[in-house]
Amino acid sequence: MLVRIGLLTEGGYPYVSGDARLWCDRLVRGLGQHEFDVYAFSRSQAEEDEGWVPLPPQVSRVRTAPLWTSEDDGVVYGRRARRRFTEHYAELAAALCTADPAPAGTRSDAGTAEAPGVPHQADRFANALYGLAELAREEGGLAAALRSEAAVRALECACRAPGAQRPAREARVPDLLTVAAHLERALRPLTLDWYEENGLGAVDLCHAASGGTAALPGLLARHFFGVPLLVTEYGVRLRSHYLTRPDSSPAVRSLLAAFHGRLAAEIYRQAAFVTPGNTHARRWQERCGADRTKLRTVYPGMDAAPFAEVGESQASADPHTLVWVGRVEPAKDLVSLLHAFAEIRKQEPGTRLRIVGGPAGPEGEAYLGHCRMLAAQLFPDEAEGPHAVGDNPVSFEEIGGPELPTPADAYAAGAVTVLSSVVEGFPVRLVEAMLCGRATVSTDVGAVVEVIGGTGLVVPPRNPRALAEACVSLLRDPERRERLGAAARARALELFTVEQNIAAFHGLYLETVARTPVRRLPLDRTGVPRPFASPAEAHVPGHWTDPAPRPVPRWAAPEQVPVTEAAR
Amino acid sequence: MTDLSAPAREPGTPAPRRGADPVKALLHRHRELCETAVDPLEIAAGLEAHGVTDRTAARFRHRDVFSLAEELYARANHHTDAPPAAPPAPAPRTTWAVLTLLPGLLCLATLVALRHTGGQTRLLTAAAGALAVHLSLRAALRRGPLSGPRCPGTALPVCWLVAHALLGEGLLRAALSGGPDTPPTGADWPLTAATLAALALACAPAAWTTHLFRTRTHRRLTASRALEDFATSVRPLLLGTVALQLLAVAALTLLTATLLDEAPALGTTLTLGALLHLSRLLTVHGFTHAPRVILAATALTQAAALAAVFAARLPGLAALATPVETLVTEGTPAALPALTCGAAACVLLLHAARRLTRASAHAHAEARR
Repeated sequence: MLVRIGLLTEGGYPYVSGDARLWCDRLVRGLGQHEFDVYAFSRSQAEEDEGWVPLPPQVSRVRTAPLWTSEDDGVVYGRRARRRFTEHYAELAAALCTADPAPAGTRSDAGTAEAPGVPHQADRFANALYGLAELAREEGGLAAALRSEAAVRALECACRAPGAQRPAREARVPDLLTVAAHLERALRPLTLDWYEENGLGAVDLCHAASGGTAALPGLLARHFFGVPLLVTEYGVRLRSHYLTRPDSSPAVRSLLAAFHGRLAAEIYRQAAFVTPGNTHARRWQERCGADRTKLRTVYPGMDAAPFAEVGESQASADPHTLVWVGRVEPAKDLVSLLHAFAEIRKQEPGTRLRIVGGPAGPEGEAYLGHCRMLAAQLFPDEAEGPHAVGDNPVSFEEIGGPELPTPADAYAAGAVTVLSSVVEGFPVRLVEAMLCGRATVSTDVGAVVEVIGGTGLVVPPRNPRALAEACVSLLRDPERRERLGAAARARALELFTVEQNIAAFHGLYLETVARTPVRRLPLDRTGVPRPFASPAEAHVPGHWTDPAPRPVPRWAAPEQVPVTEAAR
Repeated sequence: MTDLSAPAREPGTPAPRRGADPVKALLHRHRELCETAVDPLEIAAGLEAHGVTDRTAARFRHRDVFSLAEELYARANHHTDAPPAAPPAPAPRTTWAVLTLLPGLLCLATLVALRHTGGQTRLLTAAAGALAVHLSLRAALRRGPLSGPRCPGTALPVCWLVAHALLGEGLLRAALSGGPDTPPTGADWPLTAATLAALALACAPAAWTTHLFRTRTHRRLTASRALEDFATSVRPLLLGTVALQLLAVAALTLLTATLLDEAPALGTTLTLGALLHLSRLLTVHGFTHAPRVILAATALTQAAALAAVFAARLPGLAALATPVETLVTEGTPAALPALTCGAAACVLLLHAARRLTRASAHAHAEARR
């Protein structure tokens, strides 16, 4: 069955420098039997200049729109359109300023606080959003209206209205301007011309590659054409919004948090399925009001092929070497790893530690320098004999050199892979180590426990002693190492391969489409019937479900005594 | 339980793992996060960024990070009264301060050089001077407070208006008396070079007044609580800015007239100076439509008046010149540019008083900067 999928991305596929480019590319290439329309938002001029990745033939069309700038279509609203805009915008602002709509029934008092005549906050927000979208679709000119003074005034009125929350009540003029500007940016997808019968109306299913802005066109396609929406979130957008503007004023943070929270809730409410990338994302989605029955965790897929050779053989592993692989930055807590290694060296003197990876940004570079210095202080250079040249038991290397041409070689170099992060999302490096069949020791952060699932050792973060003990126990027990490594590889191959990722999405696509009623009209615009628009059995002469007698052979006539009775 | 006035522990010391109230230690460690948070989810996000997981939350006898964050949010004493410090207004820069002086000085130098040259050299000097002034003007409008979005379609009207201020008065007088018979600078067609020099020099005060307007509005913007307050506080500021610029132009006109030994054409210079300043002020704040229309309309009016005078020489069309002739004979030849530019400046001032008192105008100007 051929499904036409509208893939919605923001700052990702098909741009070369996009975030989620890799998995989208694998998904599109893996599902060659379907057709993909890509609707992409670009985040900057630089991203647009770098161009697209090569697209496979199943991508039938690509439409892009910039999020970093807005084009004025020159439409100036008349009186009626202006009033309509102000009404909807004021409604949106009022929905942001008043109390929380009680996500996922976690709060019971919010429902009782509302007057019976007032519609529910979530509905209010959604109605205003769709009202603005309809206005933009019919009249255009929304971009200019969102920047106009009328928008700021409506926002001010909503903040000063009785019932507004305290931070919103204290909003000053600069706060109002900041919020209005941010709303304008966030609502830019509403101003696009994608919502046509031959645009997003023509796809069978919208798949948003992330929440937030990218899912907004899907929401509107669902509103205008009833296209089902599937939302994938590897990182929860709402959470990142909380982390991106810590030094704004409370009014700005409260209003924007309300906007993104309400938007996320509406997206989760309208989506046919929501697929978090791990349990952490899933918890946030549940918290923001996603229905548990809609959630399907789909782990990110990794390409297992480069690690297959290393995973099958244990020959190259040096039994006295620990390996750390990753990008060097403070969140990886290499300092505690070095302290743990000092502890390990006391118990297992011949052990070496290889830290493989380049620094991430200027901060990472400074941190790498700090770690090198610490390693030099903690461990003196040592040599095999009085005539050999010594070196440090801790080595800092990068992938791509002559010794370690690929990541697989890095994992192959050591018997145990260590992960010492204090903050981690989905631990890609850990999955790679698992695919290589290495025993691992990792800290209990992010999705580590969920990923490792008992096939490696887990210690608390910021605890060098526990890390050291776990490493020593693995270094002294080659059999256990082998057992854990094999189990880890089996687990990774079962859960974290590209194939399972693609199969999961394929299943979800078919399930979503199967649940959605056909909505194509039987006649096209000129009144001519569309080919195959109605099923063939509709044209069988006479009503085949009719109770009236039809010409049937005598042996099949209903008057005949039922077989069961004859047998009795 | 919720005694928040307990003596603060040193931030470096480890938290007691099995204290009576472990959450209090956590609250102390993340005090800033908890006190400035606007909802529990913000605390949850912040805690997770610091490596707090559900397992950590279990140590505080909570099911997950969210419920821990809710307790922290409920127990923290929120202070939302201290508004964050506003970003400082841009300080004046030497670059644009020097650049805005250049057009005037170059123009003055060219005019003085023209006095002392003749023949071929004079023509070359005039061409070189015009080019230099044009380039320096472009540079001055590219950066600093006078820089704004591109506004195509204004260059021609502005050139016309300036040229008319320079040549128009003499041309009109010559045309009414049957001329012109000589090229400009002849006895019956004098150039009002002082006006040109004053306008070019006025770039510098225009930049400074615009800068002043911007810094003051920035201050009012951060200080005001309501949009209406902001509008009422900006209106006098706008009028003051325009008045200041007019004063500067008047002073410069008198100065250049003395330097170049000409009669000061105050009416023409002041009205044209005000018109150009207001249109630049509007352009800088993103309103390009009104200046474009008004400048074009003014230039067209002046051109039409001149054309009418010449067209009146055709047989049967003598009546066409009557309005201009009346204007010149009743008043002075300078009345035509003064009237047209003055009317246009008034319209732009009214427009600016409506548009520039809106907070959104300044938001976009600041975002562009």
